[in-house]
Amino acid sequence: MSEKSEKKSFKQKMMSGQIWKSIWRHDFEDTGVNRGKVLRSNVFLHLHPIRVPKHAMKIRFTWCMGGITFFAFLVECITGILLMFYYHPTVDMAYLDMKYLMFDVPFGQILRNMHRWGAHLMVFSVMLHMLRVFLTASYKPPREFNWVVGVLLLTLTLLMSFTGYLLPWDQLAFWAITVGTNMGAATPFLGVEGPFSIATKFNDVRFVLLGGTTVGANALLRFYVLHVIAVPVVVCVFMAIHFWRIRKDGGISRPL
Amino acid sequence: MSEEKGVDAGCPASCQCGNISESRRTLLRRLGWGAFFTTIGVSVAGGLRFLFPRVLFEPPTTFKIGTLDDYPTGEGDEYGVVSISEKFMENQRVWIVRETDKVYAIFGKCTHLGCTPKWFPEDRQFKCPCHGSKYYSNGVNFAGPAPRPMDRYGITVLEDGRIKVDKGVLYTVNDFDNPDCFLKA
Amino acid sequence: MAEEITEKKPVKKTVPKKEKNPYVWPDLPFMELMCMIVVMLVLILWSLGMDAPLGEIATPSRTENPAKAPWYFIGLQEILVYFDPWYAGVVVPSIIIVGLMAIPYLDNNPKGVGEYNFSARKFAWINFLVGYAMWMVAIVVGQFMRGPSWFFFWPWEPWDPNIHHAEVLLKNIPFATGLISLVVYFALFYLLPIIFRTKIYKQLDFTRYFVLMTLMALMYAVPIKMVMRQVFHIRYVLVTPWFNI
Repeated sequence: MSEKSEKKSFKQKMMSGQIWKSIWRHDFEDTGVNRGKVLRSNVFLHLHPIRVPKHAMKIRFTWCMGGITFFAFLVECITGILLMFYYHPTVDMAYLDMKYLMFDVPFGQILRNMHRWGAHLMVFSVMLHMLRVFLTASYKPPREFNWVVGVLLLTLTLLMSFTGYLLPWDQLAFWAITVGTNMGAATPFLGVEGPFSIATKFNDVRFVLLGGTTVGANALLRFYVLHVIAVPVVVCVFMAIHFWRIRKDGGISRPL
Repeated sequence: MSEEKGVDAGCPASCQCGNISESRRTLLRRLGWGAFFTTIGVSVAGGLRFLFPRVLFEPPTTFKIGTLDDYPTGEGDEYGVVSISEKFMENQRVWIVRETDKVYAIFGKCTHLGCTPKWFPEDRQFKCPCHGSKYYSNGVNFAGPAPRPMDRYGITVLEDGRIKVDKGVLYTVNDFDNPDCFLKA
Repeated sequence: MAEEITEKKPVKKTVPKKEKNPYVWPDLPFMELMCMIVVMLVLILWSLGMDAPLGEIATPSRTENPAKAPWYFIGLQEILVYFDPWYAGVVVPSIIIVGLMAIPYLDNNPKGVGEYNFSARKFAWINFLVGYAMWMVAIVVGQFMRGPSWFFFWPWEPWDPNIHHAEVLLKNIPFATGLISLVVYFALFYLLPIIFRTKIYKQLDFTRYFVLMTLMALMYAVPIKMVMRQVFHIRYVLVTPWFNI
């Protein structure tokens, strides 16, 4: 401790070594160049511009809802992956796995709770995000297309929540999905019970959603696949576009 | 090779040679992109078809409900319904309805969006919990969003006197007069 | 640049000579971190305090009473009371999604970007907020005021499944009357802004105007149908052999 001024401390040694320098490619002196480098040389931070208008950092302008939505998505990914270790998407097992998670698996209950409430939070924050973007007219040129991507993301968020709703295989889930998919059967032209139907019970919209004519084993598996991989992958692609376009379309909206 | 036309309009003879290679390129380009988009199209179509299974492993569609003696006739209510048997509701989602002169099997599925209505014996009504559709004791709708009476299954008497309900055959309101849709008794 | 948009307002706040924007690092990432921590804290406390619901095991022969969709879809379920499934469940959501996507291409008013400016965008704010409010009201009604058999209950009334509600016989509007009233309804949306020479009409070209008015007519048709059902007991406005509205 006493030789601190003479000898380099362990921290200083570490930070001047090759390994450290290969990971963090910037110095830590408070200069404008370094402040830029921190963002530029970090894949997670490089979404940010180097400078940003003052109002963009105000919570009362952004409400932080886009960020919260993204964060909720990350929480859903992590808790979801953990839950997948215990969940079998089969009619015999699904409900029992829920009970197992809730009453026996260590921290199973709180993970399930976080997954469920996080999903609600995500839907809620994405709705508020849309409201904020509308009220600040942030969809006007040149940001029109990013609004379109945003509406798609809202729809996909609802789809992710909806497909997840069936997985516990309880009464609430079963009947919500029954009602939801029967609406598919009422699609004009492509649903068996819809107006101007050209489909049969065995090739209409509901059939492809359920992989059958009733909510059963195939439906559970389909919703599981959609929920854990198909929809999230599409969401990731659109999120990448969404974030990238914010920068490319002139950054956060500002008064003219 | 027949595609040479069109490109060479207005060209001097000296560039005839170039036109041939031009038209060959056009042809090859069309073939190339054509093959590319055909492959994509066929793959997408195949992928879509993949999602529609040919064989379903769903439960068998027929079951037996006993003999006619199990459903004695008597005095009916204002719709002629003597009794509603809920015996097969739990497993088969079917109500057996005894009217004064016939027996039929109602499929317990609301014609609005497919919930299972509930039978209220004291009101003599079926009520759907999802959107409030209501049916008389004979399954005919009278309130709520349901567009038509509840459907009925095919029903026949076997040689040994037992009654068979076939869930593979469903009759909507227009076919309620079909002789396979009820038992005269 | 953006400043070049010429507005009639001659008096502008004196803008200081191009002040450089502040650096993002470390302020913004730090705020994001704070935000994450707060959200995480809320989520953990929420998850500790309240368990996610799990009903009985799925049983096809017995429907939950009431059977409710997840809350974000309950608005649609509420509309299902008033419209047939093909309209409430398929057409309405499709129109909402397409209509939302169309907003930036319909709104050619350049004002209000980057600020909460109601006075420059009255029409846009009012109609969007009305639509948004309708969504929220439908969710609240569906979630908290619909009890067994989807009957309406005030929040202070207990959900008694055996409660007897007076039967209301619904009637349909005759075909000719229905068709004419629908045509008149849409015509009002197309013609009224023209007759009164509103800004909306002057600002938009034909395609934008037509699409916008169609979407608005469709949007306001939903609460109008609800009122017609509740007050006048009308089941369908238009009855055809193929579909009913």
